Amino acid sequence: MRWPLRWPAISPRLALAAGLVAGFAAIPLFYIALRAAAADPEVWRRLLQARIGYLLGNTLGLAVAVTSGALALGVSMAWLTERTDLPGRGVFRWLLALPLAIPAYIGGIVHLALLRPRGGVIPQLLAELAGRPVAAPSPLGFWGAAFILTLFSYPYVYLLSGAAFRSLHASLEESARTLGRSPWRTLWEVTLPALRPGLTAGALLVALDVLAEYGTVALLRYETFSSAIFVQLAGRYDRSAAAVLSGVLVALAVAILWAELRAQGRARFTQMESGWRPAPPLALGRWRAAGFAVAAAAVFASLLVPVAVLLAWSVAAVTDPAMLAAVVRTGSQGFGGFVWNSLWSSGLAALLAVTLSLPVGLLAARAPGRLARFISRTCQVGYAIPGVVIALSLVLLVNRFLPFLYATPLVVVVAYVLRYMPQATRASESALSQLAPSLEEAARTLGRTALQTLLQVTLPLILPGLLAGGALVFLTSLKELPATLLLRPAGFDTLAVRVWIWAEDGFYMQAAPAALLLVLLSVAPLAFLLRREQGRR
Amino acid sequence: MLEVHDLTKGFGREEPPAVDRVSFTLDHGAILALVGPSGCGKTTTLRLIAGLERPDRGEIRLNGRLVAGAHTFTPPEQRQVGMVFQDHALFPHLTVEQNVAFGLRGRPAGQIRATTGEMLELVGLACLHRRYPHALSGGERQRVALARALAPCPLLVLMDEPFSSLDADLRGEVRQQVRAILKARQVTAVFVTHDQEEALYMGDRLGVFQRGQLQQLGAAEQIFQAPATRFVAEFMGNSDFLLGRVTAGGIETALGLASQPSPLPPGAAVEVALREDDVSFEVGEPGNGVISERFFRGAFNLYRLRLDDGQILHAHRPHTEIQPSGTRVRVYVNAGHPLAVFSAGQGVGGAG
Repeated sequence: MRWPLRWPAISPRLALAAGLVAGFAAIPLFYIALRAAAADPEVWRRLLQARIGYLLGNTLGLAVAVTSGALALGVSMAWLTERTDLPGRGVFRWLLALPLAIPAYIGGIVHLALLRPRGGVIPQLLAELAGRPVAAPSPLGFWGAAFILTLFSYPYVYLLSGAAFRSLHASLEESARTLGRSPWRTLWEVTLPALRPGLTAGALLVALDVLAEYGTVALLRYETFSSAIFVQLAGRYDRSAAAVLSGVLVALAVAILWAELRAQGRARFTQMESGWRPAPPLALGRWRAAGFAVAAAAVFASLLVPVAVLLAWSVAAVTDPAMLAAVVRTGSQGFGGFVWNSLWSSGLAALLAVTLSLPVGLLAARAPGRLARFISRTCQVGYAIPGVVIALSLVLLVNRFLPFLYATPLVVVVAYVLRYMPQATRASESALSQLAPSLEEAARTLGRTALQTLLQVTLPLILPGLLAGGALVFLTSLKELPATLLLRPAGFDTLAVRVWIWAEDGFYMQAAPAALLLVLLSVAPLAFLLRREQGRR
Repeated sequence: MLEVHDLTKGFGREEPPAVDRVSFTLDHGAILALVGPSGCGKTTTLRLIAGLERPDRGEIRLNGRLVAGAHTFTPPEQRQVGMVFQDHALFPHLTVEQNVAFGLRGRPAGQIRATTGEMLELVGLACLHRRYPHALSGGERQRVALARALAPCPLLVLMDEPFSSLDADLRGEVRQQVRAILKARQVTAVFVTHDQEEALYMGDRLGVFQRGQLQQLGAAEQIFQAPATRFVAEFMGNSDFLLGRVTAGGIETALGLASQPSPLPPGAAVEVALREDDVSFEVGEPGNGVISERFFRGAFNLYRLRLDDGQILHAHRPHTEIQPSGTRVRVYVNAGHPLAVFSAGQGVGGAG
């Protein structure tokens, strides 16, 4: 619900604060654009000839495949759990969302270990059974990357479409029935088209994630812009080439983000107002078993297999004294150190992101208009700047303007804030837009100043919304890999970094306890978010 | 046209059924208004007729065809029943024109265009056919919903509180338009409302619901003059009830003897329904009660009267006649027609 504008005028201080936040959020984008434009024409020519077409094809191909896969899987799972009498749908609602706690590269590590062509568990098993090598599907390359990324990004679409299915008025489907449509035709002609803008927005967020993904594609040896930029930065130290590639990647991402914001806007029109009534679930009849099998397969591949394998490896690692020693102490750092680094950097990033999002949210909710919309959209650009690009721009910026920050963990935190602030901004805006301005006006007429009103009335009421935004930033920062790898000072290892380094060297079992802990740490904020989401039904 | 027999539907074992053994029939071209307080089962009855709920027991026939029974259940898409929902349920992704054409699928394109145009003409929205629902006002949405329900020429149109989402001043106007449209096309309709005035305006016949049961079905005048139960008298017309006792000569009450015959044996306890226009009073001692409050209603004054035994009655008086609270009065019955009498909530004799 949107409340009408009743604030007498835009407070200049609020507008200034929000403008500063937007400026901060937009810095990496502009800086990369500048560096890409200013790069040597020779570098541009070389890359255009040899690399950009190839990378564009690879990146877009993967983005399209993963987005369609996640859309198909996410929407069908949401439909099964929200609109049908699927057996065990209460449990499935949780299980289907939980893969969000598993970073795609960890899922990739597990599936790679099971399926890789030489030495993988399943090919070996098949060869033993058959007495000769048997061709098993390989997780490497395009299809492998598409499979893994679909498996671990469909929950975004699943959660968004689940909420959309729940928000849809039962009467909409019922009127389609009275106008002569069968349940199946109603789904295709009314339900899905009515929800399309919201689903499109969810799918485009997945596409942005694919553009930003580094760990999985590097692991599965499929080259995209992100992994190519990473190689330029970490291996060849060619910042000019990295800037050019980043410029192209960000241009692509900004176009997708623009489409996403448009879809979001249209979704508002198709949202129904009040008077929600639960729609009776559709009886699947003889399709019940099939529906159950599909949902169970999704849970099996995206949740049960990774968790079970990580558990088994962890048990093996902990029971082997030599390996246990390696897990507990690596160089000068102990296991506790990684955990602490992960927690404080993600926690601080969440706190900063939420704090910075407040003036933006306040401005958008209380003084809607062109300025507020411009600022709010500028704060969304973090979605369009992949971790490797944030890292590149921060390396360059910090070196030049803030050398005292260089090689401190704070740069890592700043990268998280820049990358994930859009999530906090959206949460704050939605929490504030649901708060009636009359509540604040009442506080003012009862003798509170604007600041007192903010502290005593507004903040306590929007706190749950802010916590949700913070939980989301914390969760995604915890999983962040490429920016952390590129920006961290020597010796600053987080859980994600440790898992990656061990796994890259092939020490899967040694990486398992850290990976498992990372998943478990992610479950807490995720459970909070899911409970909140389900409480809205 | 529509025959409903012994219809029963419950939503849980502990609760009493939402619709409890309801039976009625409706002739072609008539409008039936189902009225009752919220949660009385009228909306569930409508949804059972539409096929949106499955009855636990009972039968529904449309044009003589059994659509719901012990072993039959026709899904809503095959019933040819149009429905106008409380929230209008316009498809947000379709224009006004596409919404109205939605139920015409499978007909020739020319016919779809003609029918859609005719329907939009009928509800006066032809100029808005390209708009999306979110760009319409409440009254316009209401009319699109009606046009969409009427377009496929359904056997029956069901309307679930269709005016409740409209502003009060718009409601009267839209109501008038809708009734005119339904009558002009001789549509058979069942209409649900909790507003007695709306029911009186819209319905050729009224059905009064309470706790899942159809208390009374009949013409509006019949329901007003001869309410079948105490609830009907109370809900339709805001009656007060005066305790009485049957005697040989009539019914003895605090206001004296009402000389009307009763089938009950002498000594039986009854209640007599009195509307505010059935009661009058004269100022003066000793009297039998006092004025406890006066409500100025513009065209008349409504007085609340407390009888000496504590019973409360209401009386109409001209707007020029103003008496202060506390005035002693003699209250008397001034009905000019037999009074409705109830024993244990059920109507007995009297006007019935």
